[in-house]
Formats: sequence, structure tokens, C-alpha cells
Amino acid sequence: MTSPSPTASSGPIIEARDVHKWYPNGFHALRGASLEVNRGEVVVIMGPSGSGKSTFIRTFNALEDYQQGSIRIDGMPLSNDLRNIDAIRREVGMVFQQFNLFPHLTVLQNLTLAPVLVRRRSKAEAQQRALQLLERVGIAEQAQKFPGQLSGGQQQRVAIARSLCMDPQLMLFDEPTSALDPEMVREVLEVMQGLAADGMTMVVVTHEVRFAEQVADRVVLMADGEVVEIAPPQTFFSNPSHERTRRFLDQIL
Amino acid sequence: MNAPMPFSGSPSLPPPPSVRPPGGPWGRLRRELFATPADGLLSLALITVISTVLFSLLRWAFTQANWAVVQLNSTLFAVGRYPVEQQWRLWLLTTLLAAATGLTWGLLRAFPRPDRSGELWPQNDRIAVVVLALVALATPWALGLSGAIWGRWLLITGLLVVLRWLAGRFGPRLERGTVAWLALGWPVLYLLGMVLIHGGLGIPAVPSAEWGGLLLTLLEASFAILLCFPLGVLLALGRRSELPLLRWGSVIYIEFIRGAPLITLLFLGQNILGFLLPGGLAPERVWRAAWVLTFFAAAYLAEAVRSGLAAVPKGQLEAARALGLSTPQALRHVVLPQALRVALPVMVSQFISLLQDTTLLSLIGLMELLGTARTVMANPDFLGHYGEVYLTLAVLFWCCCAALGLGSRALERRLDPRHLPNGS
Repeated sequence: MTSPSPTASSGPIIEARDVHKWYPNGFHALRGASLEVNRGEVVVIMGPSGSGKSTFIRTFNALEDYQQGSIRIDGMPLSNDLRNIDAIRREVGMVFQQFNLFPHLTVLQNLTLAPVLVRRRSKAEAQQRALQLLERVGIAEQAQKFPGQLSGGQQQRVAIARSLCMDPQLMLFDEPTSALDPEMVREVLEVMQGLAADGMTMVVVTHEVRFAEQVADRVVLMADGEVVEIAPPQTFFSNPSHERTRRFLDQIL
Repeated sequence: MNAPMPFSGSPSLPPPPSVRPPGGPWGRLRRELFATPADGLLSLALITVISTVLFSLLRWAFTQANWAVVQLNSTLFAVGRYPVEQQWRLWLLTTLLAAATGLTWGLLRAFPRPDRSGELWPQNDRIAVVVLALVALATPWALGLSGAIWGRWLLITGLLVVLRWLAGRFGPRLERGTVAWLALGWPVLYLLGMVLIHGGLGIPAVPSAEWGGLLLTLLEASFAILLCFPLGVLLALGRRSELPLLRWGSVIYIEFIRGAPLITLLFLGQNILGFLLPGGLAPERVWRAAWVLTFFAAAYLAEAVRSGLAAVPKGQLEAARALGLSTPQALRHVVLPQALRVALPVMVSQFISLLQDTTLLSLIGLMELLGTARTVMANPDFLGHYGEVYLTLAVLFWCCCAALGLGSRALERRLDPRHLPNGS
């Protein structure tokens, strides 16, 4: 499995300070959100819908731009410079709520596309690595199928493997189980849990409380575009320090 | 064979018992045509109308029509006034096209989609071979062609079928990558065909004024179809671009072309295209017309591609960008393949209209199929035989369009990622 390379700088892998974002329609989505994530850490972001959780993690690989504040990924400042953005995207994997697999490519082609085009790996090398990762998420036998022939849980596991093929330093998960039928949630969470156990740095937006309790190093509550509380899961769920967190927990527990 | 169940872990269900209603073919006919008295009456009425029309048509075709007008002018309809001593070039081109078709067909069957096992000779292919054989046997007979020409057609058809068989039989020994490279043979063949028709590389030139008939129709249509495709894709992308100059340029171009009748543009092109295009690109009327058809079709194609682009979810581009692909890479490998598949049926129906629009070229004096027909009908020897000529043209166009339609449906099935084998 990919472990963070020891030679990389030892500072936090994400440093987001006082990030503000306005959508073109004027909506103030992020209002000074700040977060630091260290290497090997698993951070779960929770919060009511519309609180800016997804927008926040989407700024970490420049899928959303921001107007004020600063974000550094692995020490590199995330600006509007395109080369910079490409370099950061190579190091940051992302898993989406809707999987976003490429439906016209087989599972194996989904996994090898970016390594061949972006990392300039040979096709054979990329395929070998892809099969390893499919094995790891438990669906090597589906390699020649198209995404539409798989269940939702299988598709999301393929999407995770697809991100891992790029050997990212950091994985972002944007509500990875929200679009799944209930019986398929566990197979995806188990894969993510395995990743965390291997030391992958992960930022996960999710509503899965048990996952947060068992896997997260820290849990973050966002509300109204701000980071309200950051705490280890035991404290977060049993003894939060903010009234807003208590109200949120009352609603979901 | 049942398709494998896609969901691992779920128990595989037993196949449903085959439901076949009793009664055999007669029972089926009764159920489908005469299920209720009203159905029966409607069926009877329709059968009467259809059989009357068909009977009159056949009676006309076999007793009253004089097919000599088509038989005597068959060469004119095929290639126009292309010099007889140079026609070997067209025979060679036809042979090469048949060979390439046979090889492609066989290789497509030898390399089914990666997610399914293919059948080497599915029923449709067997039917197609029988139809081909019948056409090759019957057409020269119906046209009263000489034995030598009949023999050539038989040889060409035989070559197609044999190569189809060989490619299907031995194709699987090749690598998938090698086969993908073989596809480049088609553009090479197209250029070679242009040289054969036009002359050059040591073979004498045949002036374009002497090209005609089906040859000219297919040449104009294929030129426009091949070139309008990349142009249309660029225009569609331009229309969605964030650069204002590019966006507005594309919009103005598309709306201008779509707002003018083709015939106007054809006349306009004959007069001004010589000044617009770099010298040498459109020196002759045939090429000027071909460029006008191309520019015309590109505007409509752009709109078809735009609808395809709109059908691709935004998440696809985001996922590709998040994986580190550049925007051109994401367009080329992720967005466009999906958009073009969605747009394919509309694009093909536009190619079919384009093929039929070539008949307008007769109005600017080109001797394509309709132009040839009009000169033939103006010949005092054949006065009054309009029905025979127009019916022949209709059948010829129908064959070309049917081939395009069949090809597009096969392509759609092959590219549809949701299509599961055996209808499961």
C-alpha cells in the first residue's frame, strides 16, 4: 500500500487558513473555514446539509476556487496557477458521492487511464498495479466489466481503487456512502477502514457516526461555512464543547 | 447462456421458465392480427390496401415499364462520363474497398467487447452474406451486363466474404493493439481512392468534369461526412468555450449557416468560395460544392454534438480533472467519447440527409445521380421513361441510407456500456 514517503516535508499535509468562498450567485458558502491535517491522520467532517463540508474539501484539490484565505497542500500553495493545480491533483485522490466512474470504459480501463496519461506509466505496469488494487478492494474478478454492470457498492470500491492507482498522498471522500443502498454501505466503509489502517491520510465527509467513532483521529463539525468544533471522536460524541455540536448530535443520534 | 449476475454475493436465480404460448406460427399470426373483431377488420383493410398497391407496382414494373433506359445507361449512372480506358482504376478501388470491408467486418467479430464473448457468425452476419450474394448475382442479370462484368462483381463479392471468413478465423491470433493500428488503413485507403479517381502519382488525371453518377454522389457525400465531423466537434466545443471570441464566433457561424437554405449556399459557394479558401483548395466546381456541403453539415453536426456534450454529467469532467488529467485529455478520453455516443443517432440521421442533399448539386450543374438521370431523361431515345429512372434512383439512395443506418445501429450497440448480451 502507499505509505506517505518519509522524505516529504514533515509539516501538515493540508493547511487551510481562513478560507472564504462566494459562489457566482453571491452565496457565501465558506466563511473563514480553517483546518490542518497531519500525515497519516483520518479526519471526519460532519455537519448539517448546506454547511459547506463538500465545498470545503473540494477546495483542497481545486475543484472549487476560493476568494480569500490560503490553502497549502503538502507545502505547495494552492493558487490559480494551472501547473500548480495539476501537480496538487496528482497527489490528492478524490472519491465522489456519485462514484463518477467512466461508464464507457471497463473497470480496468477506468483504473489505468490516469496512470498511463498522467504518470506516464506503461500500460502493462498500470494494469498490474490496477489488478493489485482491485484485488485489495475485493473485485478483481470484475476487471473486464463496465461500471453499469456493477452494484453501487462495487462501483464505489472501483472508484476508490481508481484514485489509489495514482498513488496519492492524501485521499478526499465526499459523502462516499450517501448514494448507496443501505446493505452496500458496509463493504465500502470496510475498504476505507483498511486504507486508514495502512496509514493513508484521509479527509472524509460523511454521516456515518460509527465510522467516525472507530476510524477517525479527529472529528470536525462544520456549520454555516465555518469550522465549529474539532475534537477526538470520544470527546466529540460524548462531551462536545460547543452548543452547536450538541444540537447537531441531538438531531442525528 | 445467461449473463453472469452482476452482484457478487447475491444468490444466482434460476433462469425463468421459457414462456412460449401454444399455437405455433398460425396461432401467433391469429393473436397478432386477429385478436379481436376490430383488430381483424383493421388488419384485413390494411392487407387489402398494401397488396393492391404492391400488386399494381409489380404489374407496372414487369409489364409496362421499359427498363432499357436503366440497362443501357447503367455505366452512366454508376460513374458518369469517366473514360472507359481508365475505369480499371475504379474497379481496383472497389476491390480494395471490398477487401477492407471484409477484413474489418471479420476483425470486429474476432474482437468482441472485452466484457462479453462474441459469436463468430451471428445470425445477422449469415443473413448479410446471403443478401450480398443475391445482390451480386441478381444485379448484373437485371441490368443485362456482360458476362465479364458479372464475373468481376462475383469475384469482388467473393473476396469480401472470404476475407471476412479469414479475418474472423485467424484474427484472434493478433494483438488487440495491432488491430487498432489496422484501423488506420481506412484513412489511407480514402486518400489512395482519391488518387485513383483523380489521378496523380504517375497515373493520368481524369478531370473532375467527367466524374458523375453514383461515383460523384458518394465522393461528395463521403468527403463532406468525413470533414464535417471534426469541424462540427470543434464548433460544438467552441460554443461551450469560456473564451468569448471563440464562443461568439462559433455561435454566429452555426446560426448563420443554419439560417440559410443549402441551395443558396451552394450557389453562393460557386461564386465566392474561390476567393475565401486558400488557392488550390477549391479550383473546380466539384470541390467547391464539396466544401459547401462540408461547411453546411458541420453547423448541424455541431448542434448534435452539443446536445451530446450536455448529456454528459458534470461529475465526469470533475472526476477526470481530480485524477490529474488536463482539460484536453479529459475531453478526449472521458467527455467526448460519451457525448459522441449519445449524439450518434442524430449525427447519422444528419449524414443520411447530407447524402440525400447531394441531389441538389444537380441544380448547380454537377452530374451526380440526379443530374445524370436528368440528362438521360432528356435523351429523345428514352423520353417518357421517368418512372423507371426515378424508381432506380430511389432504390439506390435507399440502399446507401440503409447501409448507413445499419452501420450506425451496430456501432451504437457496440459502444453502449449498458447493453447486456442476450437481452438479460
